[in-house]
Amino acid sequence: MKLFTLLIGLLLIPCSLMSQTYDLLLKGGKVIDPRNGINALMDVAVSGNKIARVAESISPTEAKKTVDVSGFSVTPGLVDIHVHVYTGTGNKNSYTGDRSVYPDGFTFRSGVTTVVDAGSSGWTNFPDFKNRVIDISKTRVLALLNIVGKGMAGRNDIEQDTSDMDPKATAKRAKEHPDIIVGIKSAHFHGPEWTSVDKAVEAGKLADLPVMIDFGTFQEARPFQELVLDHLRPGDIYTHGYKRQVPYVDDKHKLLPYLAQARKRGVKFDVGHGGGSFSWKNAVPAIRQGFWPDSISTDLHIGSMNAGMKDMTNVMSKILSQGVPLYDVIKMSTWNPAQQMKRSDLGHLSEGAVADIAVLRLDHGRFGLVDAQRARLMATKLLVCEMTIRDGQVAWDLNGRTATDYREAYGLM
Amino acid sequence: MTKQACVCLLTVVALLAGYGCGEALPESYGMLLKGGHVIDPKNEISAPMDVAIDEGKIVAVRESLPEDRAEKVVDVSGLYVTPGLIDLHAHVYAGTGIPRVLTGDSSVYPDHFSFRSGCTTLVDVGSSGHRNFEDFKDRVIDRSKTRVLVMLNVAGGGMGPDGEDNPEDMEPEKIAAMAKKYPDIIVGVKTAHYSGPEWVSVERAVEAAGLADIPVMVDFGANHPKERPIGELYLEKLRPGDIYTHMYSGLRVELTDEGKINPSMFQGRERGIIFDIGHGGGSFTWRVAVPAYEQGFPPDTISTDLHTGSMNAGMKDMTNVMSKILNLGSSLEEVVRMSTWKPAEVIKRTELGHLSEGAIADVTVLRLDEGDFGFLDVRRITLKGNKLLTAELTIKGGHVEWDLNGRAGEDWETFYADEKNRVDPWR
Repeated sequence: MKLFTLLIGLLLIPCSLMSQTYDLLLKGGKVIDPRNGINALMDVAVSGNKIARVAESISPTEAKKTVDVSGFSVTPGLVDIHVHVYTGTGNKNSYTGDRSVYPDGFTFRSGVTTVVDAGSSGWTNFPDFKNRVIDISKTRVLALLNIVGKGMAGRNDIEQDTSDMDPKATAKRAKEHPDIIVGIKSAHFHGPEWTSVDKAVEAGKLADLPVMIDFGTFQEARPFQELVLDHLRPGDIYTHGYKRQVPYVDDKHKLLPYLAQARKRGVKFDVGHGGGSFSWKNAVPAIRQGFWPDSISTDLHIGSMNAGMKDMTNVMSKILSQGVPLYDVIKMSTWNPAQQMKRSDLGHLSEGAVADIAVLRLDHGRFGLVDAQRARLMATKLLVCEMTIRDGQVAWDLNGRTATDYREAYGLM
Repeated sequence: MTKQACVCLLTVVALLAGYGCGEALPESYGMLLKGGHVIDPKNEISAPMDVAIDEGKIVAVRESLPEDRAEKVVDVSGLYVTPGLIDLHAHVYAGTGIPRVLTGDSSVYPDHFSFRSGCTTLVDVGSSGHRNFEDFKDRVIDRSKTRVLVMLNVAGGGMGPDGEDNPEDMEPEKIAAMAKKYPDIIVGVKTAHYSGPEWVSVERAVEAAGLADIPVMVDFGANHPKERPIGELYLEKLRPGDIYTHMYSGLRVELTDEGKINPSMFQGRERGIIFDIGHGGGSFTWRVAVPAYEQGFPPDTISTDLHTGSMNAGMKDMTNVMSKILNLGSSLEEVVRMSTWKPAEVIKRTELGHLSEGAIADVTVLRLDEGDFGFLDVRRITLKGNKLLTAELTIKGGHVEWDLNGRAGEDWETFYADEKNRVDPWR
C-alpha cells in the first residue's frame, strides 16, 4: 500500500511541477498599488524577479511556495528618496563618511527596496561612492548628485564653496550614470545668496533631471516663499517639508496661501525627516488643513536613525497619524517618489514589473511618535514591516512566514 | 545584650546596608524611571522598583522614589527595567572597504544596531587581530557611542583577507602584549574558522589568553570529530571560564545522531566552560536548541553574532535572539541574566551588567509582548512562540540613546506652547 502511494506520488510530481508556474505566491493580502489604482484583496504571484500576476484569486497549486499574508497590506517595495549612505570612507563627522550609514541594515527591515542618496556625493567623489557602497548593496541605491563637487564632505567649509559648484561637470557625471543618478541636490548652504539653488537648477536643466533642495540656513534675505514660487521648476522637490523654520500658518493658524500656489506650479514637498527637520508644530496644522506631503522620506543618517526618525515605517506612521488614509501614505512612499525620480519602472506592482514588494502590518494601540525636537504625539496606529521582497528574493521576513514550520519540518504534526 | 537582640540588631544593620540606606536618599536626580519592574540578576532583584539616575550613575533603586526630586520622570509602568544589554558576540570592524570579510564589508557599525535593541555594550569577537586592532580602534571603537570591547583574534590579521588558517601568524606573545596595552578594551582572545584538523589555533589562543589573563572564545571551525572532538576541547584544551560559542549550531556534533545533546557538553559545563549562543547567519538551529532545552542544556550567555549575513536573516537583533531563548522555556529573569550580568562576569568586566547604586547608568527598558510570533532559524525553519521582547528605552551612561515611544520626550502641544521652542519662521 505504501509503495502504491509512493508510485502515485511520483507520477503526480511532474504534473504538479509543470503547473507550478510561480515561484512565490502572496495569498490573501490587501494589495495597495496606487499606480494601478488597486486597493483590494488580491493575490500576488512572483516568477523569478518579476511580478507575474496580480488577481483576485490565484491557486496555491500554481506556486512552488505560498505565503499567507491575510490581514496585511501588500504594497510595492517602498522608495525612500532621502537617505545618506556614503559611508565607510573614514571621514569623520561628514556625510561622505561616518555620518552616513550602510543601506542594507536599515532598508529591508523597514520595507524599503530603493533608496535615493540625497547629495552625499558630488561629481568628483561619486565614483568612489559607487564603488564603495552602491555596487555592493542589495538595496537599490540611486543618487542625487550634490551641486558641490565634493558632496557633503564638510558642512561649514567645503559645502559653502561656490567655486566648487560646477553645473556642467555635475550634469556630465549624471549623464554618465543614467541608471543611478536621478537628480541634483543642494543642501546646507548658508547663503544669503541663491547661488547653490540656482546652480543646482542649472545642472538639473543640463541633465534633464529634477533638483532636490535642503534650504540650509533660513535667512530673511532669502525667503522660503521665493524658493518654491520662483527658483524651483515644476517637478523640483523641496525636502524637509515640515521643518520648524518653514512658514506654514498665519497668526490665526490658517495655512498660508503661497503653499497651494507652489504646489499648483508643480513643486513637490518631501518629508525628509532627519535629525532636525520634522516638527509637529508644522506637520499637524499643515496636514490637517490638507497640505499633505507629496513624498515620504527618512533623511536616514546617524543623527536620525536612533532619534525621532527611526525608520521608514515609523515616518509613514506619523503621516498616517494625521488622518491621511493608508492608501495615500503608500502612494507617497512608492509611486509618487518613483515618478518624482522619473523612475516609473519602480513603485508599482504591474505585471512584468520588478518584484520589489513590501508586506506591511498595521498595529492598533498607543504609540508615541517623536519629532526632531523630541516632542511626542500619541497615535493609535503603527506600520510595521512583516516582509520585504527585493528582486524576487525574500530580503526580510519578520515572523518567518516564508520558511518551513518547525513541527512540519521534523514530522511533529 | 541578649543573643537574640544581638542577632536582631545585626539583621537590621544588614538590611540597611543591603538597601543602601546607610546613605540617605539623594536630594535630587536627573532622571527617574518610575513604576517599572526591575530585573537585576547580579543583585537578585526581580520586583517593582523605581530607578534614579544622576550624572551618568545609578543613584538609587528602591521600591518607591519621590518624583519631585527628579528633573525628568519617565513612566515605565508595565515595562521591565534591566541593566544595559551586553552582546558577547558581534562583528563591527566595518568601514575599511575590504570586500566580503569581517574586517570590512561583512561587519556593521555598532551604533546602527545596538541601542535600538537594548544593547549598551558589544564585544567584537575576533574581527581584528593584534596587527589591525589599532586600525579598528581608530576607525570604529573610538568613534562609537556604544561601548565596544574586543576579543583579539589569534590570527594576526583577524578575519581579514589573509584568513585564519596560518599557524605562523598566531603569535601568543604579540597578542598578549596588545591585550595588555589596551586592558580597557581587550577582554579576550578568539579563535575561529580554523580548518584544522590540528589544535594549533585553540592552543595558541589559550596560550595568549593565559599570558594576558583573559578568557578565550572558540568558534570551532571545520568539523573533525575524530582528530578534534568537542569533548577534548571542553575537557582538556580549554580552561574553566573559556567560552564555546555557536552552541546550538549543530555543526560539530553538539547533537548526536541519536538526538542527544553531546554528553561532553554537560561535562564541560561542570568544568566551568561557558556556552554561548552566537546566533549568526549559520549557527542557531531549532534542531539542536529544542532538544537541548528538553534535555536541560540552556545557554550561559545570549549573543547575536551580528554581521551583514545575520542582520536581515533569522538573527535580526539582540531582543529577537533573547525572545527565542524565552520561548524555549527560560524565565525572563534567566534571559536577562544571560544578556547582562553573566556576560559581564565572563569577560571579567564586573562593573557592567547590573544596576547597583553607584554603577554606570547603562539601563534598558524592555517590553514583553504576548501574541503569535514566528522565529526563524538559520536553516529557514520557523518555531512559533507567544512572547516577544522589544527595547523601549536604552540609556547609556545616563544618556537616552533610544526611545521607541518617546517616553522621555515631552508632549508636543505642551512643548510648542512654549514660545522658545517654536522658532517662528521668516515671513
